[in-house]
Amino acid sequence: MKVLMSGNEAIARGAYEAGVRFAAAYPGTPSTEILEEFSKYKGVYAEWSPNEKVAVEVAIGAALAGEKAMAVMKHVGVNVAADPIFTVSYTGTNGALVIVSADDPSLHSSQNEQDNRNYAKFAKIPMLEPSDAAEAKEYIKLAFEISEKFDTPVFFRTTTRMSHSKSVVTLKEPEKYIDKTGFTYDAEKYVMVPINARTRRVEVEKRQKALKAFVETFPENKMEINNSEVGIITAGMPYNYAKEVFPDYSYLKLGMVYPLPEKLIREFASKIKKIYVVEEMDPFLEEQIKAMGISVSGKDVFPYTNEFDPGIIKNAIEKNPQETVSPYKESLAPRPPNLCPGCPHRGLFYALRKHKVYVHGDIGCYTLSYMKPLEGLHSCICMGASIGMAHGMSKALKEKGKGKVVGVIGDSTFLHSGITSLLNMAYNNSDALIIILDNSTTAMTGMQEHPGTGYTLMGKEAKKVNLKDLISSLGIENIKVIDPIDQKATRSAIKEELAKAGPSVIIAQRPCALFKRAKIKSKPALKVDPDKCEGCKACLGLNCPPISWKKGVTKEGSKRKGISFIDETLCNGCGLCEQVCKFGAIS
Amino acid sequence: MKMLLSNDPTNVIITGVGGQGNVMASRVLAGMLVNAGFIVTIGETFGMSQRGGSVMSHLRVSSTSVLSPQIPQGRADIVIALEPVEALRVLVKYGNPHVAVLTNSRMVYPMGVITGEFNYPTLDEVKTMFEKISAKNWIIDATSVAVDLGNPVLSNIVMIGALASTSLLPIGRRAFEKEITKSIPAGKREINLKAFDAGAKML
Repeated sequence: MKVLMSGNEAIARGAYEAGVRFAAAYPGTPSTEILEEFSKYKGVYAEWSPNEKVAVEVAIGAALAGEKAMAVMKHVGVNVAADPIFTVSYTGTNGALVIVSADDPSLHSSQNEQDNRNYAKFAKIPMLEPSDAAEAKEYIKLAFEISEKFDTPVFFRTTTRMSHSKSVVTLKEPEKYIDKTGFTYDAEKYVMVPINARTRRVEVEKRQKALKAFVETFPENKMEINNSEVGIITAGMPYNYAKEVFPDYSYLKLGMVYPLPEKLIREFASKIKKIYVVEEMDPFLEEQIKAMGISVSGKDVFPYTNEFDPGIIKNAIEKNPQETVSPYKESLAPRPPNLCPGCPHRGLFYALRKHKVYVHGDIGCYTLSYMKPLEGLHSCICMGASIGMAHGMSKALKEKGKGKVVGVIGDSTFLHSGITSLLNMAYNNSDALIIILDNSTTAMTGMQEHPGTGYTLMGKEAKKVNLKDLISSLGIENIKVIDPIDQKATRSAIKEELAKAGPSVIIAQRPCALFKRAKIKSKPALKVDPDKCEGCKACLGLNCPPISWKKGVTKEGSKRKGISFIDETLCNGCGLCEQVCKFGAIS
Repeated sequence: MKMLLSNDPTNVIITGVGGQGNVMASRVLAGMLVNAGFIVTIGETFGMSQRGGSVMSHLRVSSTSVLSPQIPQGRADIVIALEPVEALRVLVKYGNPHVAVLTNSRMVYPMGVITGEFNYPTLDEVKTMFEKISAKNWIIDATSVAVDLGNPVLSNIVMIGALASTSLLPIGRRAFEKEITKSIPAGKREINLKAFDAGAKML
């Protein structure tokens, strides 16, 4: 049966067809749908782990029990999981272990643009990379085969464009699941103390040698000789772009991007006069090919940054002047993403900014509050970082920092990697204030469950962590729980906790406005009374999408130059603007 | 009877503001075209952008070949916009003198406009711009029709209905019915059909 599938759906389907029944992940764009889709197949076990490191460790455990296990994450998740990944490369996997890394060229939804192909070389783990959904489905099967055959973890790389694009895929009957699980005791192989690890280190190099021989005949490294003048060496999505604009060139399309098939590359090079290496981000293939002593063009013509498209490749090779494609050069107001109508974060940041504090943030919808007019946070590095950074800044500033340093973190990211840093704040007696923005879900990636939601990925009821008890057990004594839409309570809680010595935590609790299960009691859409509005624009300072400004609506006896207007189709009636209006004009 | 495209491939961009149902519109339209036997590739980006930012889906439709999921700059054939200024934004990058534009008239102001940092064109100005830079254009108030049907988010389906009436693509009501039987839960099919029909009548 032929169906239209995204790369992510195809990865999930391919794993299922390959007889994989075990997967763990932490959600992160562009990888999230892989586990969501996989979890829907019959007979599988799939879980959201609290973070990527845990997900990889869970998958390693399953592999050691003999399962074919898959761990899935976005590119920066591999940083979190790097510790176990580098050493499972030594132990090998017993069953099979595939780690899916979803990279994000162009930073569509990420804080950096790291090229995770480097991890393959760094950790000495083979890596496959498909170029469309049909290949994704077949390559994930090959990844498991290679893992089993060579007793190695295997990286499977995708990118945002690859994961989120849809194309036609042919479904096949899934392989029958064979239960091979059991106990395998082999301490010399699995206990990585120096004496054993030294032995395994040598085994890794033997495996590398075997893999290098294997890739020479790997059928997904494909050579297409169409002419002897110009050839392209490429992998993944850029292959499609190059093929679209230069269908007559010769191609060496690599299905495995690490290790490289040196003999095959030499053979291709011997047949073609001019070779371009077409790859997004780092010159990963280019540098290795150049190290073979083969002359190629790469980053001398192609950009280092951002994803490619057919035009970028054409212009680079033909040396066309930069983007003069469209004759219409209109300057349009930008439309960056924004907090939704009724978002609980809006209330918190509106109250917080009145206190003139330095706010450290981490990764979540609330990061969007850094923009005007809320200007709610002043730093954001990675998930979980806000707590450690707030503590460090507060310690460095000493007296100057008292009552002035705040860290904000989401419920999901707190459970991901904030707990140890909060423990540190209690242990080293920090003066910073931490605010947990608890919206009952992992909102930014689309409402995934986590240990604080009471449900698992498979939809089963689960133990729900009590944040207040958890924080208290870490040694934090000052804890307040507030509803961030309630401005009076929020402001006074912040004021009180900033004034206290020692660490404090405020849990700002209100479900995400888009979270259907939460059934938030909203009022009907609010309205501005044109007789009462004085045009002071205070409500516009909330940065709420339904509220806009109507110029020139004046009033007799008032200096107002216009009025606020609420779009009923967008307003969800949270009532925040009603509290902000000093003239009682919103109800 | 095998239906034909007037251009092969036909490059379609669906654009709007995150939360308007852009992704769903592209999936329904792609599903209709796949059911009709065409080879379709969809390029989407979602994630952070869905929180009220500009969103865009690329649909590449062909009878013969599989295309990459990104339309080259300046090569859109049809632009469908759930918000009029988003149509302009897409045309700046992907427009050409032969492009056809179908847009919803309801404006959604970005924050920079609300705070007074940026100006926003009026609908008349947008219309004038369309006349200059497109071969054909239609502006319809899909949001009002959707609100009358009970939910503003239905405007995406109203737009698909209107698209069917333009004859730009070989799609019709039966193709829509067939697709939603697959992709939309039974309880919501009737209201979606109403939205499609209402849209089809607007042109």
